[in-house]
Amino acid sequence: MDNPILAAVNQTLQASSRAIEAIPGSDIVINYIKNSYQNDPFRVVLELGLAVFAVKYMLSKKYRIDPSHIKLTEKEIDELVAEWQPEPLVQPLSDIQRMELEKTQVIAGHQGPKPKMLSSGKNLLNLASTNFLGYINNEDIKEKAIETLRNYGVGSCGPPGFYGTLDVHINLEKDIARFLGTEKAIIYSQNFSTISSVIAAFSKRGDIIVADDGCNFAIQKGTQISRSNIKWFKHNDMADLERVLESIKKETATSKKRPLTRRFIVTEGLFQNFGDIAPLDKIMELKEKYKYRVILDESNSFGLLGKNGRGLTEVFNISPKRVDMIIGSMATALSGTGGFCAGSKEVVEHQRLSGQAFVFSAAMPAMLAVCASEAIKILETPEKGNKLLKDMNDNAAAFRNVVVSAPQAIEVSSDVGSPILHLRFPKNALSAAGITTRDEEKYLLQEIVDEVAVKDGLLITRAKYVESQEMFLPRPSIRISICATHARKDVEKAAQAIKASFVKAVSKRK
Amino acid sequence: MTLASMYKTDYVQTCDQHCQTNLNSSWFNDKGAWMTNVIIVCLIKFFFGIVPGMSPELAWTMTTLTYNVGSYIMLHAVTGVPFEFTQGAYDGITLWEQIDGGVQFTATRKYLTTVPIVLFLLSTHYTHYAPFAFSINLVVTIINLIAKLPVMHQVRLFDINQKVESN
Repeated sequence: MDNPILAAVNQTLQASSRAIEAIPGSDIVINYIKNSYQNDPFRVVLELGLAVFAVKYMLSKKYRIDPSHIKLTEKEIDELVAEWQPEPLVQPLSDIQRMELEKTQVIAGHQGPKPKMLSSGKNLLNLASTNFLGYINNEDIKEKAIETLRNYGVGSCGPPGFYGTLDVHINLEKDIARFLGTEKAIIYSQNFSTISSVIAAFSKRGDIIVADDGCNFAIQKGTQISRSNIKWFKHNDMADLERVLESIKKETATSKKRPLTRRFIVTEGLFQNFGDIAPLDKIMELKEKYKYRVILDESNSFGLLGKNGRGLTEVFNISPKRVDMIIGSMATALSGTGGFCAGSKEVVEHQRLSGQAFVFSAAMPAMLAVCASEAIKILETPEKGNKLLKDMNDNAAAFRNVVVSAPQAIEVSSDVGSPILHLRFPKNALSAAGITTRDEEKYLLQEIVDEVAVKDGLLITRAKYVESQEMFLPRPSIRISICATHARKDVEKAAQAIKASFVKAVSKRK
Repeated sequence: MTLASMYKTDYVQTCDQHCQTNLNSSWFNDKGAWMTNVIIVCLIKFFFGIVPGMSPELAWTMTTLTYNVGSYIMLHAVTGVPFEFTQGAYDGITLWEQIDGGVQFTATRKYLTTVPIVLFLLSTHYTHYAPFAFSINLVVTIINLIAKLPVMHQVRLFDINQKVESN
C-alpha cells in the first residue's frame, strides 16, 4: 500500500532537511540556489554541467604527453635489476687502440723544430706540429713571453666577462682586427671551441646552415649544437653548392608563411682534413646572389696564406668586411693559444654574451696573449714577415714537388702553396696490395711513420679522428705540417725518405 | 641509428626542453603566484567598481571579460620565452604548454582551470542572470576553458601561431 511508503519517504525528507539546516552556512547556499533558479532551467543545467566538468577535471590523474616516457611495472624493474651485469670500468683495448697508445711518440723537453724523443733520446725533425712559421723557437717572442710572465703571473683567474680580461687581451683583439682589416675581433681561449661557439651564437633552431662536407670535427659539432637545419654540399664543389642553395630557395618559397630565418654558409679557408683551399670568390658571388651570411673558418690559413699572411681574403683580394665572420686560430700559425672571431662591431659584441666558450671558459694566460700579439707584429713587418712566409712556401713547394712525383704510391690532396699536406695511398694501389679495411690501411700508414722515425729521423703523424662521431669520415692519411725554419735540404731529404717509404709499403705487399 | 639522424628525433627535442628549469613557466607552481592570481581578480573588480557610472552588474561582467581575455593572451597566444638558453627549444610553444613540461592535470593546471569557472559562476550570480551578460561571460569562459583542455595540447587552429616546420 502507498501510505506507509509515502509516510516513510516524507519522514526521511524532513529528517534530511533538518540535518542540512543544521549545517552552518547552509542558508547561504540554499539562498544561492533559490536565487539562481530564476525560472531558467537551461541555464541551470549549463551551470551544473560546468560544475561537473570542474569536479571531473579536479579528480583526473596527471599524465605525460611525451611518448618516449616508458612506464615499467615493479616486476619488470625487479627483473631488469636482477639480470644487470656491471661492465668493467675500463674496457679492454682493441688491437688498434693498443697500437695507437704504444706508438705515440713522447717528446722529452720542450717543443721545437727538432725535439728530443723520450723513448730513443734522438732528435727528430718535427713535421707533425703545426709550427708553420717557426714561432715556437723564436727568440724575440721567448724574451717577451718571459717578461710578461714576470709581470702578469701565470693564469688569468677567471672568465673574460668576470674579471679575467687583461689589457693584453684587449691589445690582442685590436692587433687581430687591425691586421685582418675588420672592424673588431673577440678572442676565445680554446681553438676547438671557437668555431662551435660562433656558429651556435648566431644560428638557432629553425635557421639554415649550408656547410661543406669536408669541414673539420669542430665545425660539425658546432652545427650540431646549434640545432639548425644543416644541408651539406660536396667538398669545394661550387655547382653542388648552387644546387643546394637553389633547392632551399624553392622549398621556402612554396611554404605558406615564410619565416624570417637566418641562413649561413660555413666553410673553411684551408681544410684541415684535405689541405685544399676554398674558392672564396665564387662563394662570395653565391652569397650575394642568394642572400646568405658566410662563416669562414680560417684556423689553418690565418697567418699562412696571402702575401702578408692575412689569410684567404688576401689571396682572393676580397675585402674582409664582406665576409660576415672570419674565425681564426692563434694556436696554429701564431704559437699562442685559442682562437678569434673577427667581424663587424655588432657581430663581435653579440658574442660577448652569447659566445658560450667566451662566457663560460677561463680567459687565456697573459703570456700566450702577448706571444700571439708579438707574432702578429712580426708578420706585419715586411722584412721579417714576408721572409717567413716565403720560406714556408718554398719548403712546402719543395716537399710537394718530391711527393707528387710518385703518383702510383702517394695521393696528395693538398693545393699548391698549402703548408698542410695529406698523404694517402691511392685506391688502386691499396686494392692491388690486398688492403680492404680502414684498420689495415691505418696499420700500413703507421709502419711508414715508425720507419721514417727510426731510419731517417723524422717525426710525422697520422691524422686522427673520432671515427664514431664524424659525419663524413676522411680516409686515413699522414698529415705533414711544413715549418718555415727548417732548412730546405732537410725538408727535401725528408720528402725523399717519405716517398721511398710509401713506395716500399705499397710494393712490398704485392 | 646514425649520429646525424639521432639529432633529428623528438628525444633530443625533449631533452633540450627539459635540460634546465624553464624559468618562464616554473614560477606558476609557487603558491604565492596562485594567491596573486586571486588578488589580481579582486583588484580588477575593485577598479571596475570605482569607475563612476558603472553598475555592479557591468563591473562583474567586465571583470570576467578582462580576466579571461588577459589570461588567454598570456597563456595561449604568446609563444616562446623572453630569454634565450636552449637554442630556441620553446620557440613555438605557448606558456600553457610549457607549464610543468607538458604534463597534463598537474596542480597548477587544475588551479588555473578552476579560477575562470568560479569567476563565471560568481559573476552570473551577481548580474542576476541577465541573458546578455550571461552570454558574454559564457562565451569568454568557454573559449578560455577549451584552450586548456589536454586534447588541445600543441594544436593550432586557423594557422595562428603555426610554427613553420623545415625538414
